[in-house]
Amino acid sequence: MPSTHSSLSRRGFIGTAALGLSAFASNMRFDSLKHTVLANELKKQEKRVILLWLAGGASQLETWDPKPGRPTGGPFRAIDTNVEGIRISELMPQLAQRQQHTAIIRSLNTRNADHGGGTVLMETGHTPEPGLVYPDIGAVLAKELGRADSHVPDYVSMYTSTEGRHKGGPGYLGSRYAPMFLDKGMMPENLHLLEQMSDIDHKERADLRDLLSARFARGRENNSLGSHIGAYERVRGLMASEKLFDINEEPQSMRDRYGPTQFGEQVLVARRLIEAGVPFVKVARAWWDSHGQNFETHLELVTELDHVMSTLIDDLQERGLLENTLIITVGEFGRTPNINGSLGRDHFASAWSASLTGSGVKGGTVFGKTDENGHTVADGEVGAPEFYATVYSALGIDHEKHYMLGARPMPLVDSGTEPIKDVLA
Amino acid sequence: MPADPNQVKIANTIGREEIDFCIDRAAGSTKIYFGGSDGKAYELDIAAEKPEAVAMEGHAGFVTGIAVCGNILITGAYDGQLIWRDVTTREIIRQIPAHDKWIRKIASSPDKKLITSVADDMKCHLWNVESGELVRTFEGHELLTPQHYPSMLFAAAFSPDGQLLATADKVGHIVVWDVNTGNQLAALEAPLMYTWDPTQRRHSIGGIRSLAFSADGTLLAAGGTGQINNVDHLEALARIEIFDWKAGERTHEFPGDEVKGLVEFLAFDPEGKWLVAVGGDHSGFVKFIDLNEKKIIKQITAPGHIFDARFNDTLDTLYLAAFRNVLVCEFKAS
Repeated sequence: MPSTHSSLSRRGFIGTAALGLSAFASNMRFDSLKHTVLANELKKQEKRVILLWLAGGASQLETWDPKPGRPTGGPFRAIDTNVEGIRISELMPQLAQRQQHTAIIRSLNTRNADHGGGTVLMETGHTPEPGLVYPDIGAVLAKELGRADSHVPDYVSMYTSTEGRHKGGPGYLGSRYAPMFLDKGMMPENLHLLEQMSDIDHKERADLRDLLSARFARGRENNSLGSHIGAYERVRGLMASEKLFDINEEPQSMRDRYGPTQFGEQVLVARRLIEAGVPFVKVARAWWDSHGQNFETHLELVTELDHVMSTLIDDLQERGLLENTLIITVGEFGRTPNINGSLGRDHFASAWSASLTGSGVKGGTVFGKTDENGHTVADGEVGAPEFYATVYSALGIDHEKHYMLGARPMPLVDSGTEPIKDVLA
Repeated sequence: MPADPNQVKIANTIGREEIDFCIDRAAGSTKIYFGGSDGKAYELDIAAEKPEAVAMEGHAGFVTGIAVCGNILITGAYDGQLIWRDVTTREIIRQIPAHDKWIRKIASSPDKKLITSVADDMKCHLWNVESGELVRTFEGHELLTPQHYPSMLFAAAFSPDGQLLATADKVGHIVVWDVNTGNQLAALEAPLMYTWDPTQRRHSIGGIRSLAFSADGTLLAAGGTGQINNVDHLEALARIEIFDWKAGERTHEFPGDEVKGLVEFLAFDPEGKWLVAVGGDHSGFVKFIDLNEKKIIKQITAPGHIFDARFNDTLDTLYLAAFRNVLVCEFKAS
């Protein structure tokens, strides 16, 4: 799938941020005082989110919903976790010992087993509508959890593999909440000063711009003007955040804990970012689309996920961050229970799993159930709206909240959707 | 009846519920033994009017290795266990926790006195068939791939004189061992059989899945698949390389022509004229290769990926363990 992204340049950021804020301000309003108060409270609590996006579709049978001994079960056994009664795939022995932090949802029926459609659904929680682009979860959380005075990005997204790469984005929220998208490596591009410009030159230019802007703004009240100035104020913060992306700043012992794979290094960067105040970081691990040799592919990828996610949980806990950080582990769909002739599993959205770990989550719980062979949801069927209502609730965000797009109310999740209360703390 | 690869055909298809990964037969008998994804081994009299498989339970994982050595049947599985049984009574004689990870294959020595098991703990164990004693362990394969993921030890084969043993792994590393001393005699590489995609999908596929020595032990054939563009599928052509292992030279290279997937079983014609390869992707294949002309004599497709094969006594029939099938493939001269 060709990439449709573009990198975030300083000039582009300033332009789009100013335009985005302007458009946002003219078309939308915060819908109630209650929400404003809640939002401010949330920001004080410094809630953070790391999304581990399992692009291509990880198998629920080789992760959270094993069916050992069944014709669909595959070769991996189920193992006990440290929570009585919960068993997960033997490929996740480290996560099994940290099950008290994680809630498993085994009953997703999202009805869309196409990579593109499933991705949009599971990134936004909404079925696409003609003429309307919904913001993805990162953009919504950047808006809800980000702070206007922050000097770090609100939304960082890493997707370095080329297959299935999807930038996502802010949709109707406007480009102020677009991700800083890292597709070539872990370091953002275009954050350096031009070679011919010194730091002093840059600061002096900023001072001159501030002086002229202040003079221009005197006696004028204008949202566009405010966002223009604000965007420039954020530039130096973004430039100063470059070190956050550099894992060489971490002790070797910490790098060793996360391991030498790219996914491990990216998740370490994610931890650095949220520790520095970035409210939402997405790390996409592609590509799980194991139509052939599913078990060997999952032996590689689940082993890595088990190690890296367990390390992240430990690291966040040791730093006192797990209480306020939610780890979402999900992809666009799961994989068929039936094993095909190449020992693969194909796309499957009818009965699959995801997990939530950390902030706001009742760890050590399992919600929902599939039938004995994993073909259908037997109990507790939920879809993308319920999943994201749960995410918002875990973070203290009113899932019934809506924005206004012109005169049209835009709910965070479809009206009438309820969160999965069983997995909420 | 002499064999004629030009006459190759699937003569019988026996549908199965399980996926069958391994097969062997008792010399001088019409009984075949195979193991599959339900954790069971089966005995089946192929000459019976209505063949009915008799199940033998005992494993807790895919049964991936099977060897009939006289009156002893040995199976190995993803549970890491080796199980010895009396062929006549089907009773378990002993059960040994042989490996820490999946057992990928069992091979028996030509005299049936030894078997070897290879597993994802990257160890190759040599066992005394009669006593069950561990004779020796061969360790010459890395636990991790160069990209830091778990490697896999897929293949093992004895030379026809029983003096040599070859093992091969996921990244295309082959080792030839002296069975009696345990010394490593040679190391060979077939890197094109391992694909790591660092850009698009960032995972791997492939590996050497089969090995076979020529009748005089001078040549060693390795089978797998070629470089794969889309590592989500077995979409590359089935690949075979043959080495003069002492010289460390590749003498033959068959990058494949029509059939795709993995070469799961290889065997040389005792007279050295041809090599037979079986395997598959979603479907299976059987192909005969003329070693002198270095070209395909004949190849056919089969219903379901074929994972293993064994000759009959007269070397004109192959019994095949396949995806939800056991197949009889004949190549008898007319």
